[in-house]
Amino acid sequence: MSITVDELSELMKKAAGVTVSPADLQDRADSGFDVLGVDSLGLLGIVGELENRHGVPMPVDAERCKTPRQFLDLVNSAMPAGA
Amino acid sequence: MMSEPRSRRAAVTGIGVVAPNGTSTETFWKSVQEGRNVLDKVTRDGCEHLPMKVAGEVRDFDPAAAVEERLIVQTDRFTHFAMAAADLALEDARLGRADTEGSPFDVGVVTAAGSGGGEFGQRELQQLWGKGSRFVGPYQSIAWFYAASTGQISIRRGFKGPCSVVAADEAGGLDALAHAARAVRRGTDVIVAGSTEAPIAPYSVVCQLGYEELSREPDPARAYRPFTEQACGFVPAEGGAMLVVEDTGSARARGLPVRATLDGHASTFTGASRWAESRAGLAQAIRGALAEAGCAPEEVDVVFADALGVPEADRAEALAITDALGAHGRRVPVTAPKTGIGRGYCAAPVLDTAAAVLAMEHGLIPPTPGVFDICHDLDLVTGRARAAQPRTALVLSRGLMGSNSALVLRHGAAG
Amino acid sequence: MTRRVAVTGIGIVAPGGVGVPAFWDLLASGRTATRGITFFDPSGLRSRIAAECDFDPAAHGLATEEIERADRYIQFALVAGDEAVRNSGLDLGREDPWRIGVSLGTAVGGTTRLEHDYVLVSEAGRRWDVDHRQAQPQLHRAFSPSTLASAVAERFGAQGPVQTVSTGCTSGLDAVGYAFHTVQEGRADICIAGASDSPISPITMACFDAIKATSPNNDDPEHASRPFDNRRDGFVMGEGGAVLVLEEEEHAKARGAHIYCRLDGYATFGNAYHMTGLTSEGLEMARAIETALNHARLDPTAIDYVNAHGSGTRQNDRHETAAVKKALGQHAYSTPMSSIKSMVGHSLGAIGAIEVVACVLALAHQVVPPTANYETPDPECDLDYVPRVARERSLGGVLSVGSGFGGFQSAVILTRQRGRT
Repeated sequence: MSITVDELSELMKKAAGVTVSPADLQDRADSGFDVLGVDSLGLLGIVGELENRHGVPMPVDAERCKTPRQFLDLVNSAMPAGA
Repeated sequence: MMSEPRSRRAAVTGIGVVAPNGTSTETFWKSVQEGRNVLDKVTRDGCEHLPMKVAGEVRDFDPAAAVEERLIVQTDRFTHFAMAAADLALEDARLGRADTEGSPFDVGVVTAAGSGGGEFGQRELQQLWGKGSRFVGPYQSIAWFYAASTGQISIRRGFKGPCSVVAADEAGGLDALAHAARAVRRGTDVIVAGSTEAPIAPYSVVCQLGYEELSREPDPARAYRPFTEQACGFVPAEGGAMLVVEDTGSARARGLPVRATLDGHASTFTGASRWAESRAGLAQAIRGALAEAGCAPEEVDVVFADALGVPEADRAEALAITDALGAHGRRVPVTAPKTGIGRGYCAAPVLDTAAAVLAMEHGLIPPTPGVFDICHDLDLVTGRARAAQPRTALVLSRGLMGSNSALVLRHGAAG
Repeated sequence: MTRRVAVTGIGIVAPGGVGVPAFWDLLASGRTATRGITFFDPSGLRSRIAAECDFDPAAHGLATEEIERADRYIQFALVAGDEAVRNSGLDLGREDPWRIGVSLGTAVGGTTRLEHDYVLVSEAGRRWDVDHRQAQPQLHRAFSPSTLASAVAERFGAQGPVQTVSTGCTSGLDAVGYAFHTVQEGRADICIAGASDSPISPITMACFDAIKATSPNNDDPEHASRPFDNRRDGFVMGEGGAVLVLEEEEHAKARGAHIYCRLDGYATFGNAYHMTGLTSEGLEMARAIETALNHARLDPTAIDYVNAHGSGTRQNDRHETAAVKKALGQHAYSTPMSSIKSMVGHSLGAIGAIEVVACVLALAHQVVPPTANYETPDPECDLDYVPRVARERSLGGVLSVGSGFGGFQSAVILTRQRGRT
C-alpha cells in the first residue's frame, strides 16, 4: 500500500491544522510546504502520525522534504509492500 | 535612539477583551456597566461531575473566526484568547501591520500566565499515557508552556521588541502591565500587554480544587459574593484582555487620544493564603503605586477591588484601603465587576484595568453584580452604575500565592 | 545617580554535584554529567539520556514537610537560595523586608508533579473526565509556577516585588534581567534572582522527542552534548537550579560585603520568526547584545568571554555564532565562547541562571570554562569555542546569551570591578 494525496491532505489538516483539499494538493504538489502553511513542526507531526498508523519508521529525510510531491515520492519508495 | 526614560510616559491606546460577558470591548463594557452576572454552571466537556460547579465560561467565542485554522490546532485555548484579544486591542489602537512592520523592534509583547495551556496539555498527557510517547504531537512543546501566548503574538504580528512572560498568581496581571509601562519608559514605543487564561478543562479544574479559597457553592447567584456575610470563596473564569501600552509621545504623533496613563505600580508579597497579612502588603503596594504616580490619596476617584470573596481576605482588603488612603478610603467608591464575570486568575486585574479606563471615559462607575448587604466599612458600588467623573483609578489585585499589587491610572485628559 | 547592581552571593544545584565548589570543579575540569536516564524507565523514547542531579533534599537542610510541600524544582531553588544567601553574608532578618525582592525563572514549573497526579486521576490516560478524588494534596501548588517565587520569598522573608518569569529557555536570563531592573530602578535593594527546572519527566522528554530536538546518542551519553561540534545531534536534557543575590552596590559596600562582580546590562528581544526555529543571521540576538552593551556603556571589546547558549542543535550553533559576530565584530574572533551545556545539559528555564553563575565564577577565578566534547569543527561555526580544556584568561567583562522557544533572545553582561570606585 502507499500514502495517497488524500491521506496526506487529511494528515495536513489533522496534524498541522492546514486545509488543502486532495484535488488542490494534487495541483499544488510542487508548492513548498511552507507556502501551503505547514511548518517544520507540522511536517514532523505528519511523519509521526504516519509512523504510528502504519507501524513502520519513515525515512529520516521525510521531515526535510520541501514539497508534497517530494514527500510522497520518498515515503512511498520506502513503504514496504503490503504494510 | 532612546530618549531620556524619565520623559516618557505609558498610555493605554487600545483595549481588546475576550471575556465571559463579552467578546468585544463594547459588549464587555455594556455588560459591566449594566452589572450583569454571567456566572453559570460549568458545562465544559468532562468537567460536569467535578465539585467546582460554577465558573465564568467564555461561550460566544469562535476561535475559527478569530485566528487561523493552523494556529487553532497548534495552540491552546488560552493562546486563542490572547491572539484574538491582541488583534482587537491593536485594531482599537489603529496599529495595523503596515504601521508596525517598518519598525518591528519598537513593539514588544508582555503577558501574564497563571496556568498555561492546560487543556492542550491534558490531551497530550492522555496520548502519552494512554497510547505511548510516540503519540505525543510536536505542538505540545510550544502550546502547553506559559510563554506560548507572548511568543505567538510576537510571531503572528511580527513584533520583535522586548518580550516577557510573568508566570504569576492573580496579581501578575497588574505586574505584566507594569512591565509594559516600564519597557515603554525605557524606550520601546509600544507593548501589547495583558493576560488571558483558560483554566476550565477537566484536569485543570482538579488542580484548582486544592485552593481552599475556591467557591464550591453550586448556585451561580450565590457562588461569588465578596464583602458580604455570605462570602464563600471565589469563582474562576476564563478569557481576559490585552491592552496596547504606548508612549504618550508616540500616541500623539499618530494622532491618537491618550485614553489613560499607567502612572504608578508597586507589588509586595505577604505569603500564600495569609490573608490577614495581605492587609499590610496591599496597603504597602497602594502607597508605593501612589508614590510612583505622584498621587495623593484623596485624588483616587475609584478603586477596583481584588474582592477575593473569603471573609478574612475581604476584611484585610477593606482595611488596607483605609490604611493607605486614610479617611478617604471610606468615602471613595469601590467596585468589583468581577463578581459578575468570575476571577480569571492573571486576567482578572487586566479586565479590571480595561474597565477602569472605560469607566473614566464614560463617567460611570460600574456596579458589583450580585453583591448586596456589605459587611465592611466601604462605599461599594452595588445595584447599578453610579454617575461620576473619575479621573484617577486604583486597581488592586492579590494572588493565591501571596502577591499584592496596585496600579494607578489617570484619565488621558488628566495628565 | 544611577544605581548599580552587584552580585554578592551565589548558590547552585546542578548535575555533577550540589553547591558552588562541586559545580566549579566540574566546569574547570571539563567533565560531563550526562548519563542514561534513571528517574523513570525511558524505553520507547528516542532520547533516553539526561544530566540528572544527584540530589537529596534532606541532606541539604530541607525539613520533611518542606520536601513534601515543594516540587523538586522548588527544592532546587530553596537549597540554591540557602547557599546564595549564606554566601552573601546578608542577615536578611535585619533588612527591610519590603526592600527584598525575588525574581525566579522556570520554563516548565510543576509539570513533573502535574504529570504524576494526572496519571492517578486519569487511570493512566484512560479517561478525559478525570477522577479528582485520586489527586494528591499538594497538586494545586504545581498548577501555577508562581509557587516557585512564592516558596523562595517565604523562606527568606522577602516582601518586596516577588515574581516568577517564564520565557521558555531564556527564563533564567530574563529572571536575572528583571531582578537587575528591579534593583537598578529602585524597587528593591536586594533581589534573590535565579531559576530552576526539573524537566526530566516522560511528558517533557516525549515532547522534545516529538520535535527531534534532543540527542538520540543513547549509547554514549557522556559525549552526547556536543555544542558547536559538527557531529552534534541535539541537546541533552538537564535539570537544576541557581540563585544569585543581587544587591544595590552602595548597600553592599556599606555592609562591607564581598562583591563578586557587577551586573551591568540586560536586554531581550523577540525574533518574530518561529516558535522553535532560528534564523541563520541571528539579528535579534545581536541586537540584544548590542542593547545590553549600550546600557552597560561598554564597547564590544570590553567582552572577554561569551557564555553561549550552545544547546547543541545545528540551527542554534549557527544562529548564535552569526549573532555574536554581528554584535562584537572582529573582536568575536579573539573572544573565547563556550557552552557549559556540554557538561551540565540543557535544563530549559534554569540553565540561563546556571550560566550566569558560571560567568560569575569565571570572573572570580579568571578562568574560561570549556566546551566539552568539542572535537570536529563545523565550517560554519568558526569562533574559538574553547575545546575541552578550561583556560586561564584575564577577564573583565563577560556576556551570557540565550534563545528560547517563542523566539526570545536575551543577553546579560557582567563586569568585574578592577579598582573602580
